[in-house]
Amino acid sequence: MTETIRTNRPLLAAGLLAGLLVASAALAPLIADARPAREIPVENVDESLTDPGADGWSDVPAATVPLASAPSDVPNADDTTVREVAIEAARSDEQLFVRLRWADPSADRSTDSPRAFADMAAIQFPVNATTQPAIAMGSRDNLVNVWQWSATATTQELLAGGIGTTTVFEQPQVATEATRTTIGEDEGWNVVFTRDLDAAADNRTQLDATTDMNVAFAFWNGENTERAGQKAVSEWYYFPFGPDDGGAPFQTILWAVAGAAIALVIAVTALSVRRAGQEGES
Amino acid sequence: MAHDNVELADGVDHQVAMVMDLNKCIGCQTCTVACKTLWTEREGTEYMYWNNVETRPGKGYPRDWEQKGGGWTSDEHTDRSVGEIPSQEDYGEPWEFDHEGILKEGKDKTLKPEGGDPEWGPNWDEDQGDGEFPNNYYFYFPRICNHCTHPSCVEACPRKAIYKREEDGVVLVDQDRCRGYRYCVEGCPYKKVYYNAVTKRSEKCVFCYPRIEGEGPDDEVHPPACADQCTTQLRLVGYLDDRDGPIYKLVEQYEVALPLHPEYQTTPNVYYIPPTAPPQHSDDGETVDVERIPRSYLEELFGERVNDALDTIKRERAKVERGGHSELMEILQDKNPAQQYRLEVFGDD
Repeated sequence: MTETIRTNRPLLAAGLLAGLLVASAALAPLIADARPAREIPVENVDESLTDPGADGWSDVPAATVPLASAPSDVPNADDTTVREVAIEAARSDEQLFVRLRWADPSADRSTDSPRAFADMAAIQFPVNATTQPAIAMGSRDNLVNVWQWSATATTQELLAGGIGTTTVFEQPQVATEATRTTIGEDEGWNVVFTRDLDAAADNRTQLDATTDMNVAFAFWNGENTERAGQKAVSEWYYFPFGPDDGGAPFQTILWAVAGAAIALVIAVTALSVRRAGQEGES
Repeated sequence: MAHDNVELADGVDHQVAMVMDLNKCIGCQTCTVACKTLWTEREGTEYMYWNNVETRPGKGYPRDWEQKGGGWTSDEHTDRSVGEIPSQEDYGEPWEFDHEGILKEGKDKTLKPEGGDPEWGPNWDEDQGDGEFPNNYYFYFPRICNHCTHPSCVEACPRKAIYKREEDGVVLVDQDRCRGYRYCVEGCPYKKVYYNAVTKRSEKCVFCYPRIEGEGPDDEVHPPACADQCTTQLRLVGYLDDRDGPIYKLVEQYEVALPLHPEYQTTPNVYYIPPTAPPQHSDDGETVDVERIPRSYLEELFGERVNDALDTIKRERAKVERGGHSELMEILQDKNPAQQYRLEVFGDD
């Protein structure tokens, strides 16, 4: 009995080790694929996703981005209500689609009386795609391009170089579509921003960039009279437009091959050890 | 420059100013209509009265504007009282009337606002006033933007879309910069900035700047329309820092023209000669030596300086009654447009 146990022990250990390595090899691609904290994945698509209810959105991974009140000198700047937003992005050969979904139980669509303020959402990009401007509306030397949707069914494209400098493009190239939706247990907004990748104008962000692109988000709850600097904002995030894009399948293959090779080596080693042991005993 | 003891805003060359003699206002609203016809007949401005005449005591326009905050917390002008935006109901809806149907088509119905039963509107409490018969009292109170020396509306705007212009201190909203945030609407303690829900921008009294610049069709300098059209010519228009003008004398020398609610600390440039009413009557109709408009009420509006102002006016009036001469009484009765409207004294300096 004792002999049997002794002779089986190395084999058992080798088997466990091999199993562990095979498992880690299988999990490794997933770990390697986990997004860096500030990355918002961008899915490559063939179809148009301008419709916030399009089926194609179900294949696009979402990032949940936390929001906080923007630092601002306007009254009640720290009184904002939108806490987080689910963000999905997709890129076709010609267009970028960004879908934002956030909870806001009251749909405030009017600015038609002195006290009426509308719900709004905005996406901010650096004008110069390779830079990261000051988060609060950029700066004089490093401008930002902002797309602002309002529940009044208007969309503005803005240029800013610091707080209080927002200027409207006369002919916006950004389109939006919005619907009400259910977010968790609340009602909320589901808004898609669409723009051609090619900016085709000065002071507009080129979206056919091949490097990672910084992007930030802002939300206003009209019911809470949020406007201007009284808004819930994200930090800078980025769209991974850089060359790593599309590397995941290759990585998977590499890790699988490496894992199998390691397991094979261990199995062979274990067998050799076992054989050597048997020979020694006999 | 002739304004040694006149406080002008930083960066302002001269300061336009207006004095309104409340003793002359008959509440005819000609100023209101003049302003409305000229400036606020556009879409989105229907509810606005850049110039309004309200009955005091009363809730005013917009309703209870004195309870809606705004202005500065001290004369250091560092901290603002944020204030609130009046509701549409506080202003009153721009009602539609079926003049066409009643007057031309002979419809048999009462002329009243169409579609609804309003519960408030401008001058809803007209002539109501306060006090018990036979000593009830009220007076009319014309109001425009005060074009303040320390405008809290300007400070409130995060975009600097509202500004005090250099040449004459007129406070204007740059319609290209304004994004309709309405911080100026809530920040003005006099509630004299209005939101246009059609253009999505805020608007206000422009002191008829094209008129005072002589930019009208006749190339002549004119006073603001509210002053020009006034049936009793109760307004004087000029520059606070024009030491030879009647405004300087009334405000700085005799100190009988006072800003409304000086405690808001915005330093208005529209000034008022406080009203005097006939004395009170006894129940049997005899005149008694008690002022009809309580001083306490006038102090609420103009601060404690109203007492000295009224005493000065009373003293100067008595002087004239005794056959003497009073420069102050001369100014208050002046019917010479060259003195009443001194808008060309500084030229293009």
